This record gives sequence, structure tokens and C-alpha cells, in this order.
Amino acid sequence: MKKNIIEKIDEYAATDPSRVAYEYLGKANTYQELKEYSDALAAYIDSMGLAEKTPIIVYGGQTFEMVAAFLGVVKAGHAYIPVDTNSPGERLTIINQIAKPAACIAVEELPLAMPGLPLIDPTELESIFGKHVQGTSKEKWIAGDDTFYIIFTSGTTGVPKGVQISHDNLVSFLDWMQNDFGISNRQSFLSQPPYSFDLSVMDLYPALTRGGRLVALPKSVTDNFKELFAELPKLALNVWVSTPSFMDICLLEPSFNEQNYPSLSHFLFCGEELTHKTAATLNTRFPHAHVFNTYGPTETTVAVSQVEITKQVLDDYKRLPIGIAKTDTSIRVVDDQLQDVQKGQDGEIIISGPSVSKGYLNNAEKTKQAFVKLHGQTAYRTGDLGQLDSAGQLLYKGRIDFQIKLHGFRIELEEVDHHLDQVSLISQATTVPKYGKDHKVNQLIAYVAAKKNDFKSNFELTKAIKEELKNLMMPYMMPQRFVYLDALPLTPNGKVDRKRLIKEVNG
Amino acid sequence: MKDQVIEILENLTGSDEVGKDLDVNLFESGLLDSMGTVQLLLELQSQCGIDVPVSEFERSEWDTPNKIIAKVENMQ
Repeated sequence: MKKNIIEKIDEYAATDPSRVAYEYLGKANTYQELKEYSDALAAYIDSMGLAEKTPIIVYGGQTFEMVAAFLGVVKAGHAYIPVDTNSPGERLTIINQIAKPAACIAVEELPLAMPGLPLIDPTELESIFGKHVQGTSKEKWIAGDDTFYIIFTSGTTGVPKGVQISHDNLVSFLDWMQNDFGISNRQSFLSQPPYSFDLSVMDLYPALTRGGRLVALPKSVTDNFKELFAELPKLALNVWVSTPSFMDICLLEPSFNEQNYPSLSHFLFCGEELTHKTAATLNTRFPHAHVFNTYGPTETTVAVSQVEITKQVLDDYKRLPIGIAKTDTSIRVVDDQLQDVQKGQDGEIIISGPSVSKGYLNNAEKTKQAFVKLHGQTAYRTGDLGQLDSAGQLLYKGRIDFQIKLHGFRIELEEVDHHLDQVSLISQATTVPKYGKDHKVNQLIAYVAAKKNDFKSNFELTKAIKEELKNLMMPYMMPQRFVYLDALPLTPNGKVDRKRLIKEVNG
Repeated sequence: MKDQVIEILENLTGSDEVGKDLDVNLFESGLLDSMGTVQLLLELQSQCGIDVPVSEFERSEWDTPNKIIAKVENMQ
């Protein structure tokens, strides 16, 4: 993309002003309105006299006004920090502390007061949007290496980190989206992930820079399945962007298939592992659609590798690959000295290229740890374990944090979990290492939520589980202790909270 | 049947609150979310033989243990 992203979006207001840019449960807004709203807000922000390039928090849900506010902020020469309405109030407070923003735009009422921070409240915003004023000049706009948006990581442990994504980071991502997925111009994109989650960028700007239509599906609808399945058929979607988990909900409904959703041609997944089962079911329901698995951390702008999950890929792989790097990016698999490992060997996934972030906002220490120099380029250390196979496909192997050594054997805790999950008596399980005084792991503990059973004691149950495990895993992977819980603790994102258990065990 | 539903809910929510207060709102209290609901439907199917069409799942009709027990008893 040779043009500025903002210019590209504004073009549609000139060439096709009545074209629908955003649809929210039947309410439509056009490209013309998008330009007018964002121009008016940009002019207002410009008049506030804020320090140049400082970030601005934008708080709200999946609405047209939210998107117009994002564009208003970048047109005024600031970066925006999206915060979703479903986030807890403390998150606003902590983001405010870390980011030291210049202002806050409340598209919806704030859950708490933010003393000392210039605020545009919903009423004021509505009146600003209603004015027809000249926008800011192009020289003011965010461009090049300027930060376009800042997305905060979930921060389930420690403080959240604000990932700064520049205009040119985003251009690299958008070029790839345009070239490598076979998606035409003017498509309708599902806008389901909240805007504080960077997966949403996979629908937002690919749609708006190509004259597409964003179709919002807010949490209030997706939470109530009856409403969800009443809405979905009305949306006339072409491109589906979501986490695999959300797709699992949709696949519960047998009528979610090609016959009933004939316009759906592309499915794009990111954010968590796409299982073979989910992809295979989807391919059966939509035999003519293109299903893509993608991979990438927020720090490298949404995603950097992709693979189309065809029948062949489903046949060739039991655990799906995460694809090949986009052309302007290099993905290497390295050892702890940052030297390339051979194909077929596990190592850390490290990414360099034009979509790698400049680092974390106001956090030089964490930036230095994660962003390193590799062959003269800035590279992001993902902390993800991967492998390149003989076909050049990248395979995801879990997190480095959860790789341990026990008696000299290298063990992936996630691999042990995977085996535990296959045991008929186990409904859910996770493995936790117990460290000895020498900082070496001396025991593996399995935390298990068992299925209903008739064993007289946990001892009997453990014996039966171990008997099954013997056929599944290497003996050195066998957990020494089994602890039974009614349910495993979960993180706010609904994943098993292994870190909490590790702390408890080694506390 | 009642006990079985409570046990399923206890397992899903990791809390015995669902057995003590049968009118607790599972969604407002944060005990159950969308993914938990999916699990609930799958468990009701495998353990109780109840097939709930997901497109007819109106959240407000399933938001307390008592309402779920009544639904399950009706559908048997």
C-alpha cells in the first residue's frame, strides 16, 4: 500500500459516499459518515492543544462511533488505545497509569472517574460528531513510524504491556491480507472480537481500506445463543474472522452450513490453536469455502503466517500447522543462543520484518528482553516453541515457559496435558512442575478433574489412570502425583491457569 | 435428575454455590460464560440424554440451577 491508511479509507467517501461501512444490528453507517465524524473529532482534538503524538484512550464497544473515534484520533496525529466496555474498571485505571495518555474519549459512559485526565464524554462526543467541519490537514495525520494504535496485553500475571503498532507496521499487515488470502474488494467482514483484542484488526482495516462492510456482532448477542442464531443468517457475511472457540459455538448449530450461508467464502482464525476437529467439521459444513489458520503475537501486528486448511492438510497433519511467513517477514526457529536449529528440531519462534513493533509503551526493560537484534534487524522473541517441518510449514509446539527438564529429559507440560486429556477417566487435567532446592524440577504433579466414576478411593482411580497413560506416553513423562479437584482454576480468558497452580505448589 | 444437574453445574463452575443456592443467577454472578454454556449443553446431552437445540437456547430461561432443572425435567 503506497498511500496512507487514512487516505485510503477516506477515498471511499469521495468515490462512493453512500456505501455502507458499518452495520450494527440493522443500523447502517456510510463511508461518508465515517469521514465526517472522524474529521469533526480530529478537528476538535486538534483544538485541545494536547502534546504531540501522545496516546488517547478510546473506551467503548463494537459500534460505528468507536471506529469513527479511532480514525478521529489518528487524523489528529495521536495513537489510540482501545479499551472495551466489557473490561473491568481496574483495567482502565492501570492502563491510565502505564500509558499516561493525553486524554480519554468515552464513546460509552466510563465505569469510574479518571481524575485529572481530559475527557470527551458520550454527550459531548455526539455533539462533536454532529458538526460538519473541515478535518485536519494531511500533515497532521499519523504516518510512517508514528504509533497508530496501542493494544494492551491481558497481563494475567504481572502488569499489562502496551504494544505499540505503527502506521507502517499496519501497512505491512494489510498488504499481506490483500495479497495472500484471495479476498476481493468490497466484502462483508464479521466484526466479532472486541476492539481491545488485536484479532479485531484482522477485520477492521482489511475491510475499511478496501471498501468493505464491517458487520458487528457484539457480546450481548453472541452470549445469548438464541439471539446469535437469529442474527447470523441476516448478516450476509463473506469473510469470517474469529477465534476457534467462537466457531465451536457456531458449529453446535447444524444449520450453520454452506447451504444456509452461501455468501461465506473465507474463514480466518487466530488467537488460539485451531484444532483439527474444528477445522475438519468446518470443511465438511462449508466444502467450497477457504479456511485459513494464522499465527502471530500482538507484538508483530496481528498475524505473520498463514496456511489454508485444505483436505490435503487435514490428511497430512494430526495437529494443524500454523503456516508460512508473509513475504516481507522472516520467521526463524532458534536455540537459546539465537542460532537457527535444523528443520525438524524444536526451538523458539523469532520474528523479524516490517510489522514488528517498536516495543512496549513506557517499558524499556521488557522491550529490551523481548526485542533483540538478529542479523542486523529487530526481532521479536515470541516465547513460543516451534518447529519447521520438511515442507517448510511452521508447527506450534507450546510455550517455552512450560518446557521443563526432569532427570535430564526435556518435557513439554502441554504435551503431558495432551496425553492426560486422552484418558477416558479424565475430564480435564493440567501438569505442574515442583521444584527442589537446587532449582531443578523433581516432581511432576497432575491436577485432574475426573469424570464420574465408581472407584472407592483416589488411590484406585490414580492406578487406573496410570494404567491408561502407560499406553499413551513415554514413562519419563508420567506425573508422580495426582491431585483431584472438582474443577481446574481458569484465567480470565478461560484457559486453565497453570501459572497459579505452579505458584501454589512452589509457594 | 436434580442431583445430576447440580453435579454437572458444580463441575463446570468449580463452585458448590450452585448446590446451595438454586436461584443464583449463573451468568450475572460470573459462574458461567459462553464457553461454559457450550460445555453445559454437551454434558446434558452426554449424561442426561437431553438434546437442546442451540438456536433455541434463550439465556434468560437457563440462568439459574432451578430453571435448568425444570427444563431438563420437562424435556425428559
